[in-house]
Amino acid sequence: MPVVELSLSRLQKLVGKKANKKQILDSLPFLGLDIESLEGNTVRVEYSPNRPDYSTDFGIALGLQGILGISKGILRLDIRKQGNYEIKVDSSTSKIRPFVTGIIARNGSLDNESVKQLINMQEDLHFGLGRKRKKSSIGIHDLDNISFPLKYTTTSRDHRFVPLNSTKESSISEILRDSEVGKDYGSILGQSSKVTLITDAKGQTISFPPIINAALTTVTTKTKNLLVEVTGIDKQSAEDMLSVVVVILQGAGFQFSQLKVSGSKNSTPNFAPRSIALDADPVNKILGLNISGSILVSCLKKCRLDASMKGKKIQCTIPRYRFDIFGGMDIVEEVALGYGIDKLKPAWPASVHIGEKNMTSEKLDSISRLMTGFGFMETLNSTLTSEQILYDMSNRDSSQMISVTSSKSQEHAILRDSILPGLLENLSKNIHETYPQKFFESGIVFSKDSPIKETASLACVTASEETHFSKIKAVLQSLLRIGFNIKCETKTLSKHALFSQGRVAEIVINRKTVGYIGELDSKVLENFRIRTRVVGFEIKLSGLIFD
Amino acid sequence: MSHVLHDIEKQVIKVLQSEPNLTEEGISQKTTLSMDQIRRGIEWLRLKKLADVTETTSISLSLGKNGLEALKNGLPERRLVTLVQDGPKTFDEIRSSLHGFDFNAAIAHAKRNDWINIEKTDTGSKISLKDPDADVPNDSDLIISKLGERTIVPTEFDNTPLAEPLKSLMERPDFIIQHEEKTKTVSLSETGKKIDLEKLDSGAIDVEADVPHVHAARIHPLNDTINEVRETFVHLGFTEIIGDLSQSSFWNFDALFTPQDHPARELQDTFYLKGLNAKQLATPTQIKNVSSAHKKGWRYYWDIQEAKKMVLRTHTTCVTIKYLADKKPDEARIFSLGRVFRNEKVSYKHLVEFNQVEGIVVGKHITLRDLMGIQKEFYRKIGLTKVKFWPTFFPYTEPSLQSMVYNERLGKWIELFGMGIFRPEVTKPLGITKPVLAWGGGIERIAMLKFGLDDVREFYNNNLSWLRTASKCQ
Repeated sequence: MPVVELSLSRLQKLVGKKANKKQILDSLPFLGLDIESLEGNTVRVEYSPNRPDYSTDFGIALGLQGILGISKGILRLDIRKQGNYEIKVDSSTSKIRPFVTGIIARNGSLDNESVKQLINMQEDLHFGLGRKRKKSSIGIHDLDNISFPLKYTTTSRDHRFVPLNSTKESSISEILRDSEVGKDYGSILGQSSKVTLITDAKGQTISFPPIINAALTTVTTKTKNLLVEVTGIDKQSAEDMLSVVVVILQGAGFQFSQLKVSGSKNSTPNFAPRSIALDADPVNKILGLNISGSILVSCLKKCRLDASMKGKKIQCTIPRYRFDIFGGMDIVEEVALGYGIDKLKPAWPASVHIGEKNMTSEKLDSISRLMTGFGFMETLNSTLTSEQILYDMSNRDSSQMISVTSSKSQEHAILRDSILPGLLENLSKNIHETYPQKFFESGIVFSKDSPIKETASLACVTASEETHFSKIKAVLQSLLRIGFNIKCETKTLSKHALFSQGRVAEIVINRKTVGYIGELDSKVLENFRIRTRVVGFEIKLSGLIFD
Repeated sequence: MSHVLHDIEKQVIKVLQSEPNLTEEGISQKTTLSMDQIRRGIEWLRLKKLADVTETTSISLSLGKNGLEALKNGLPERRLVTLVQDGPKTFDEIRSSLHGFDFNAAIAHAKRNDWINIEKTDTGSKISLKDPDADVPNDSDLIISKLGERTIVPTEFDNTPLAEPLKSLMERPDFIIQHEEKTKTVSLSETGKKIDLEKLDSGAIDVEADVPHVHAARIHPLNDTINEVRETFVHLGFTEIIGDLSQSSFWNFDALFTPQDHPARELQDTFYLKGLNAKQLATPTQIKNVSSAHKKGWRYYWDIQEAKKMVLRTHTTCVTIKYLADKKPDEARIFSLGRVFRNEKVSYKHLVEFNQVEGIVVGKHITLRDLMGIQKEFYRKIGLTKVKFWPTFFPYTEPSLQSMVYNERLGKWIELFGMGIFRPEVTKPLGITKPVLAWGGGIERIAMLKFGLDDVREFYNNNLSWLRTASKCQ
């Protein structure tokens, strides 16, 4: 979950003086914001990825005002049509990054903390909603250095301009090759010879989306007026992103003018709220409440939505930036939040259900009990293990190895096809403990099939100078006889990677081989740095005692 | 007062009751016990005030080197007297019979006893008897001959005329050796004497004595917690279902309305099985409906190839959703428990493979408050009593809550299970018409609270000393 760092006193100023800091801290969790740390005036909160408006203190203040009852309902958005701000889309963009949208924000001011919050928002939007800039990405510019109308077009990779945080001109190819952002996001543009570009009426380069802005329009704390542009491969996603920026800038005190978008499949963004109508009864029913229509309406307003009752229906109005709301169930959650999760009292439902364990769990339980009865300690190992333990140290054949892609840890890269190597690893880690040591483990092993087969198996080992083959065979036979009334035979086996020659056998039940038993090979033991004699067996349980 | 006595103690008491004072050796001759057992037994009895031990030192005498010489040849002074019996002799004459040390001793003692005269003449000093007719006393000779080769106790000569001569003989070097020997004599105390061995419960042993540790073979502590969680779900009326650890992306993600370009589906979060694709995905209707739900909700091209990619399940929800999609129950309480996987860096709080449990309630009349109640009851049954709920976000439930449990040891609220109602975007395409409420989470977190661990990796280290000693009943 993403995290945002907030200044508590600034947050209090944004929420309004009626709220004290304790109320604010107590309320944060009830907006779904987990307090990760609190040090002095600095609070770090985790927010849900479906609420990018909570990526800044402006958005969180809006939510707090609602839940604390300081200010309720939708924050009205006033977008003036004055000024002649326009961006024209060239059809050449359609094969690369077809959509652009934007807004003009005026008469605001940005201090250092506000700039920090906006950067956090931009990063969050790029990562989540923008799918690492691929789906959509934002550029924020100082309006005062730009001449309108703008052009969203394409250019060759030789095109040169001065990129953000630089003083000298570079070509598009150089930027993609040499800069951090170029290397991180250049792949989005693919191999096409042309790339997207925003230029102004004077022909100056404004932005090279989705990679970098031009230095010309750098935003500083002196900036009063902004151009926000969003480009992308999905129109709705680009407008979703823009709507979040708008509500945040509104919180920061900006006024808005429309940016006309024309050409190709593009259009001027529409920030009008949506309406959802739903029956009030099911809302009460699913929450286990019985609250009146007017309270339902008030709950929704506390979540910064608008609502009214029309007979038995709730008519709910949803601002543009709340695109996380899909339908009725999302409204139910808003009601619950507005009502207060802390006021929802747990109830106890009458039930006629009789619970049951799964047969496989039951049988594995019985095996565990028997094995501990025979004096074996249960160990637990990952089914996702390493090539080293499973094959290298065990001298086993790795041709049927099943691996996962891009594991972050070498110790967890291969699915086990046998439990015994893990038990040898357990013995290896305990060589300083007193002997005899007896371990068992039951669990899933994997094998290639169509595409993959999972089998429950049991393995055990005894490490002791006094142990020998017949002792472990006695355990095997008693386990199967006492536990499941199964008779097994052990048939001489000429060779097995894990066991010593002449001291290994196949475990045969009803003429089917179900496992192996024997004394562990001295080379294998040496690989695991085990200096005592070890005997053991591994047996497949699936197909034997359960399906 | 009844006594619990060790068999060794009983044997010692029995012997001493028939023979009151015995040495350790004495006891050993009359029992089958080893000296070591006897010493231990006596010490136990002494501590219990059932026996007294008195230590005595006995002294004995025997002849030393010079004494034995005198026994053979007579005392030096006696030999001197014999030499001068027939008339005075010069020093040189005497020296031919009495050499060195004997000569000096003979002269010194004969003189001290006033038996001889020493006269200086021109031809050297001459020794003569003082009174040739008088008998020379022979007490010392008597002592030598009486001791002979025996060992005697010094009290033998007490109150006899020989007492004084013995004293002076003992002062002379190497004539008489004094031996000291310490003896422990064991006797019963008054309580000890009264013990009736016949009446003692013959089966009783010392139950208060310390004993060595023994290690029990046992179920792994984490599995103890897993079993407890499983039992508790069963008590709450839930029936267990199980499913594979490897799943198609379809059931792990697509069926749960997780878009194919969602960050959670990326390689760095999910383990994909290299080169493995599912052969059979779901029924054609299920595939068609899920596909159109994605197109409608997320507006993108839904790719069936992406859905076929095999993954290690990232949650147990893939098992429960498939069950619901196949059975479409109107009423149900089911749960699934088992290993799940996340491609994370292993740390004190993250594992790549851990256990998760998930309970599902299906019912026409079931409410969010009911789900909170079931969960509260679950926590109560496993011993967690301070519980509260906060809103949260899960991609496939709405509304979604998380439960917080207060931990006394850490002094803070810990996030445990999550819960929520399956989104209609999940249930509708799969033909599930009744509300589905889900709750669950990781089991290791609960086990960490129970076993007081701060590092989750401890569960999979299989450190024998921890497995042998971790307390079972928490």
